[in-house]
Amino acid sequence: MSAISELSTVRRVKAKSPEEKRLRAKEAARDNKAGYLFLLPWLIGLVLIVAGPLIASLYLSFTNYSLIQAPRWIGLENYARMLDDPRLHQSLKVTFIYVIVGVPLQLIAALAIAMLLNEGMKGLAFYRSVFYLPSMLGASVAIALIWRQMFESDGLVNQVLRVFGIPATTSWIADPKYALWTIILLHIWTFGSPMVIFLAGLRQIPGMYYEAASVDGASHWAQFRKITLPLLSPIIFFNLVLQIINAFQAFTQAFVVSNGTGGPSDSTLFYTVYLYQRGFGQFQMGYAAAMAWLLVAIIAAFTAINFFFSKYWVFYGD
Amino acid sequence: MALNRRQFLIGAGGLAAAATTMGLSACAPGAPSGGSQGGGEQGGKTALALAWWGNPTRNKNTEALIQAFQQASPNITLNGQPGDFASYWDKLATQTAGGQAPDIIQMDMAYISEYGNRGALLDLGKNGADTSKFVEGTVESGKINDQLVGVNAGINTAVIVANPKIFEKAKMDMPDDKTWTWDQLSDVAAEVAKKAGIPFGLVYLFGGDPMFGAYLRQNGKELFTEKDVGFEPADAQAWFDLMMKFQKAGGIGTPQQISEEGSPGGGKPIDQSAIVLGRGAMQYQNSNQLEALNAASGESLKLLRAPSLAGKATERKAWYKASMLWSASAKTKNPEAAVAWINWFANTKEAVDIDKAERGIPPNAELQEYIKPKLSPAQQQVAKFIVDIKPELASTPIAPPPGGGKLAEIMFRYESDVLFGKASTAEAAQKFVDEVKSNLQV
Repeated sequence: MSAISELSTVRRVKAKSPEEKRLRAKEAARDNKAGYLFLLPWLIGLVLIVAGPLIASLYLSFTNYSLIQAPRWIGLENYARMLDDPRLHQSLKVTFIYVIVGVPLQLIAALAIAMLLNEGMKGLAFYRSVFYLPSMLGASVAIALIWRQMFESDGLVNQVLRVFGIPATTSWIADPKYALWTIILLHIWTFGSPMVIFLAGLRQIPGMYYEAASVDGASHWAQFRKITLPLLSPIIFFNLVLQIINAFQAFTQAFVVSNGTGGPSDSTLFYTVYLYQRGFGQFQMGYAAAMAWLLVAIIAAFTAINFFFSKYWVFYGD
Repeated sequence: MALNRRQFLIGAGGLAAAATTMGLSACAPGAPSGGSQGGGEQGGKTALALAWWGNPTRNKNTEALIQAFQQASPNITLNGQPGDFASYWDKLATQTAGGQAPDIIQMDMAYISEYGNRGALLDLGKNGADTSKFVEGTVESGKINDQLVGVNAGINTAVIVANPKIFEKAKMDMPDDKTWTWDQLSDVAAEVAKKAGIPFGLVYLFGGDPMFGAYLRQNGKELFTEKDVGFEPADAQAWFDLMMKFQKAGGIGTPQQISEEGSPGGGKPIDQSAIVLGRGAMQYQNSNQLEALNAASGESLKLLRAPSLAGKATERKAWYKASMLWSASAKTKNPEAAVAWINWFANTKEAVDIDKAERGIPPNAELQEYIKPKLSPAQQQVAKFIVDIKPELASTPIAPPPGGGKLAEIMFRYESDVLFGKASTAEAAQKFVDEVKSNLQV
């Protein structure tokens, strides 16, 4: 849409006589119509599949809705109850740890691998695909099940440790001290999609900057800090914003690894897992809807903070 | 805040991603595609939708049952909707919310009052359900507010299954389950685990609510009264203390092992449970699962009674549990046809010939006698056990009030807190009771 209207703007500026202007405007309107027509399938989807449930969920968040009986309006009661819900607070704690630890580590891994791949090795396409694969699979039930078995007391991880003479019998998924960290590890492992974006970003940086820096005797570390990071900062920002939003909504991994309980001892009670338990396990869909809107508010706040601080470190070069 | 175009695009991407969250709360996974639900008239025939959860054997049986029923009642067509237990309830909830509930619903004790109390289930008593031949104590489970909203589809009882081979290996006699107390159970569990060199003497005892229920009943309490929790924090604390005693004695594994094994229903699939893999000597289970456990383990496991405080089985306040029930949607267009299926299933030889004891021992006394010789050895053992414990029965516990179905899950969570030293038994007990109560108020 914006591309089309931008084009029209350009032409409108060039138009001189009033008559010509009118003609151009008409043309632009026709262009816009075509644009909207092409957008229609997406717009219909947005209105019916996203906007409808969105508004319904906002309404439900002000009701007591058991799924079975009709919703009953209770005003802000659901939101008030959240203040006094220890499991909600636990789920927020778990989710914040997951986001604040998991996202930066995942991005660091993604950038490191992207830089390795950018060195122009043989078989780049192959390696790129191999490293991308985990992020295709990471949110799947199958991988979560495998993860579960790997970190059991007799799982692959302990078996490998035993090969190296470490008598490991810890069940990593069954102890509240470790369970969340196995899921964070799974998150880090799915660095593929930010990696691919980083790789594209790295390709955009002109090689001559590095050449010039080398001539001046800059070390690799200095080149990374002074050239790569600033020029890549818009891409880092993009990945950061998207990954934070995604991480807040993580569900499958925790749900499968903990058998839907968020256990042991609520140590993997992700926000969305708790939301699901409330909505579908305890028939409190009104409360679940209110929880969803709190999550929207949290994500919006995080994104706004991100945008606010971006002006101090994101360099657009234009 | 002024946005440039790049920032705008990132923001828009973010919004789109965030929108999926709200989708989660507004629509269910696996929601029905609509239209295929029964309840309509098809050329003089009534078509009803019939939903159940099950395993491969039950699915096969139920398809055969549907065929046989349709032959017996040519005016009724049944459209089967099989499912598995976990997703069954999400689907049923969304179907019910959309006014598309299946006409005939296989129901569980944990959920019957969620639906029954909210008027989603048909009063089967008023619509001609026939439970006149049912054994005493088997009809009550399906009653909510004096209305019969579920007909018992098979009798179950909470048991401890034991592997005689492991006791042999430990050079121990099988314990006398008619006289054992909770403390003796702890001793036996610890001894057999040690002597047989396996992680668990006893699995699942503290993770399931039936054993907690048995303990409470022996102390003069119940899990639930009609509208409230039937026990005090002190009772829960006593139960948690008992668990710690078992754990310290060495009979139920380390905290990590207990946590990894999970709770019955919320843990591993039955064919990977400790007793099947030879890692446990005894395991809490419902009686109708004996056959599945035998099949998975290749062993001939034995049924043992739950212990008693007094050391007398006749004082252990046992009860018959409905392994599952048949309910009908309050909105079904043809209540008579729905009840016809339920009566046919509950009271005819034809039906029991097909399903045998897959859904538990038939509650109909005549059919119990009729089917006994046709049962597999494991099912015969269960049938005999169900009859043998008659003198030990006390009143049938009522269904949990709405919101109470999650008691076991909540209990296991606080037990984990205690096991991992995150809470004292007193703190955990108080929080446990508070949380169960707060769920009931909604």
